[in-house]
Amino acid sequence: MTSSTDLASAPLGTSLTLVGIDDAANRRRLATLGLREGATFRLLTRTIGGGRIVLVGGSRIALSRDLVHRLRTRVA
Amino acid sequence: MSDSTRVRLPLTPAKTPLPSAKACCHEIPQHTAGVDAAVVALVGAPNTGKSTLFNGLTGSRVTMGNWPGTTVEVSKGVWRTTLQSPSCNCETCTCANDESPLAITLLDLPGAYSLDAHSPDEQLTRGLLQDGPVSERPDLCIVTIDASRMAHGLYLVAQVRELAMRVVVAVTMSDIAAQREMSVDTALLSRALGCPVVETDPRRRTGLVPLAAAVRTALADPVPAPRPVPPTDDALVLDDDRFTWLSEAAERATVAPGNDRLTLSDKVDRWVTAPIAGPVIFLAVMWAVFQITTAVAAPLQNALDGFFSGPVSHAVTALLTLAHLNGTWVEGLLVNGLVAGVGMLLTFVPLMALMFLLLALLEDSGYLARAAVVTDRLMRTMGLPGRAFLPLVVGFGCNVPAISATRILPDARQRLLTVLLVPFTSCSARLTVFVMLGTVFFGTNAGTAVFAMYVASVALVVLVGLLLRRTLWRTMGAEPLIIDLPAYHLPTLRLTASVVWQRLLGSLKTASGIIVVTVCAVWLLQSVPTTGGQSFGQVPVEDSVYGVVARTIAPVFAPAGFDQWQTASALIVGFVAKEAVISSWAQTYATEQPAPGQTGLLGDHIQAAFVQSSGGHPLPAVLAFMVFLLAYTPCVATLAAQRREVGLKWTLFGVAMQLTTAWLLAVAVFQIGRLFW
Repeated sequence: MTSSTDLASAPLGTSLTLVGIDDAANRRRLATLGLREGATFRLLTRTIGGGRIVLVGGSRIALSRDLVHRLRTRVA
Repeated sequence: MSDSTRVRLPLTPAKTPLPSAKACCHEIPQHTAGVDAAVVALVGAPNTGKSTLFNGLTGSRVTMGNWPGTTVEVSKGVWRTTLQSPSCNCETCTCANDESPLAITLLDLPGAYSLDAHSPDEQLTRGLLQDGPVSERPDLCIVTIDASRMAHGLYLVAQVRELAMRVVVAVTMSDIAAQREMSVDTALLSRALGCPVVETDPRRRTGLVPLAAAVRTALADPVPAPRPVPPTDDALVLDDDRFTWLSEAAERATVAPGNDRLTLSDKVDRWVTAPIAGPVIFLAVMWAVFQITTAVAAPLQNALDGFFSGPVSHAVTALLTLAHLNGTWVEGLLVNGLVAGVGMLLTFVPLMALMFLLLALLEDSGYLARAAVVTDRLMRTMGLPGRAFLPLVVGFGCNVPAISATRILPDARQRLLTVLLVPFTSCSARLTVFVMLGTVFFGTNAGTAVFAMYVASVALVVLVGLLLRRTLWRTMGAEPLIIDLPAYHLPTLRLTASVVWQRLLGSLKTASGIIVVTVCAVWLLQSVPTTGGQSFGQVPVEDSVYGVVARTIAPVFAPAGFDQWQTASALIVGFVAKEAVISSWAQTYATEQPAPGQTGLLGDHIQAAFVQSSGGHPLPAVLAFMVFLLAYTPCVATLAAQRREVGLKWTLFGVAMQLTTAWLLAVAVFQIGRLFW
């Protein structure tokens, strides 16, 4: 089993599984957008300021840098 | 027909009463569905075509956009449809024999991803659908979901289905889904969700009839049983149950082989949100907007100006001559007051229309959501989330709706800070003055001068934001950016034209009332003499009450290089509305005799005034004036909006802060500028 890494360290273009969210305040908000533990998504691009855009369930979600460091992922 | 209105409902919870969808029916003065008629609420995540659907159903016009947070207040309209009734014997109606007319009160609630109340808007939606007494809730709820992003729209459906409420799901954006080779089987989805599901395209007005039929049928049936949920209060367990339910529903009813396929939007996003290219593209887009606005609008503005100061003024004068009123105070009021003032306002129409058109195109294309990503870092240095960029962008059109748009922010202190910063965004009314002064003083470089004002506006927002963050808002944290990026698409002509028309009409309605009152007040003050031997309406402006008041205030602006009393008086009326600044000049100079050697043209008067007041440094003085105009109170309508959102105390704080900032900056610009120019 591959060990988890934060989203900031994950390679662009890969399909990832979200294994943990170290941000209790935003957990439900992320979940309503389809980003919940166990969800599979694709890491699309790096944005200005160190954020990322991910593709989940057909939606493109932009996440800022601080949040990217709080999402633990594993290559799907 | 256009039977819609906007209402502001109280926010929960605190000590305010819970909002009521039924209670607000009483506020509709006419064409109402009546308190006994059905109330239907439109809910859905941002960017799912909810407001467009509302417009399609009610025939009204509500501001729409392709980015989150467009609906910040509850819009209410009457949806006229028909009710199946074989026994209809109404004599006057034009419906088919088996149908009778039905007027449904339709509410367009703010965009919400869930009923979890992350922001005041979501709190409002939750209050209306969930927290209020059952008897006060809408009779039916239409939930819009985007076919190309089905999974995340279904979370709200799951929550609404847990309530004792009739639900109809409207699936929108099927065209975008089709482009991505995705499709939705509405019959299967309907079975999985336990409620009617209808495919509709509000942008092209298709699927509205089947939607009406589904709503009619649902209204005739009893309220269905809520979806059963596990008997627990544990939010995580409830969430797990919802996600399992919606995943099964989505899986069963959607074919989505291209769900994670890269699209052209993704390729474009790689550039427009990139670390270096993103800000460069953002600045280029903004520069192009202002360059196009000034270059295209200027000739139209000049033509309209010539029309009002020429043929229209002459016609009114001729009519007054026929009525033997020439040379009286009536001519002064009509020709120099109303025709000059209203004419000046109408010359701004091309400028405002163009600005609204370009902003609408950017919104509808989906670019503005990307701009929020680009500016997020900047926003967060001020302790504001990326979403705060959205009201600030709206502020570049008009500050008044921008103040309302701050309600998309979840934190009360972030809202307050944004409300205080919005007036520093340069609205289209200020643009009119910048264009006029730019043309007079900077000639062919007018576009660049105007663009510089917009750069200064952004700098002011950032610097004042940083200052407030380091002083009054030291403990405020910053929310991370989580933004749903809508797919890029070509703006539709009808939608864009509708948005431009609505905004233009709104601005003109607000401005015209203020302009007419201001012009009449200025004329009255200019007509009342302060010295003996002069009669009402026959007094030189400098001897009138207006001249004396302006002369008293003018020395305050001496260190900034514009202490001419005419300039000071323009700033006084500019406090009421920036649209009135030029008309005030026009009115003041029109009532004066042209000085020897002057043509009497407004631009020449203004140029001469700045040359004189600045001691031969008109360019730094006019730049200082433009900076002052940019930074001080935008208009009384903005103050009213601020008072509504943050109360009188903070509104007054904002006024004092802006006046202080404006004066200090203007003095700095002039004093430094005169060393070089």
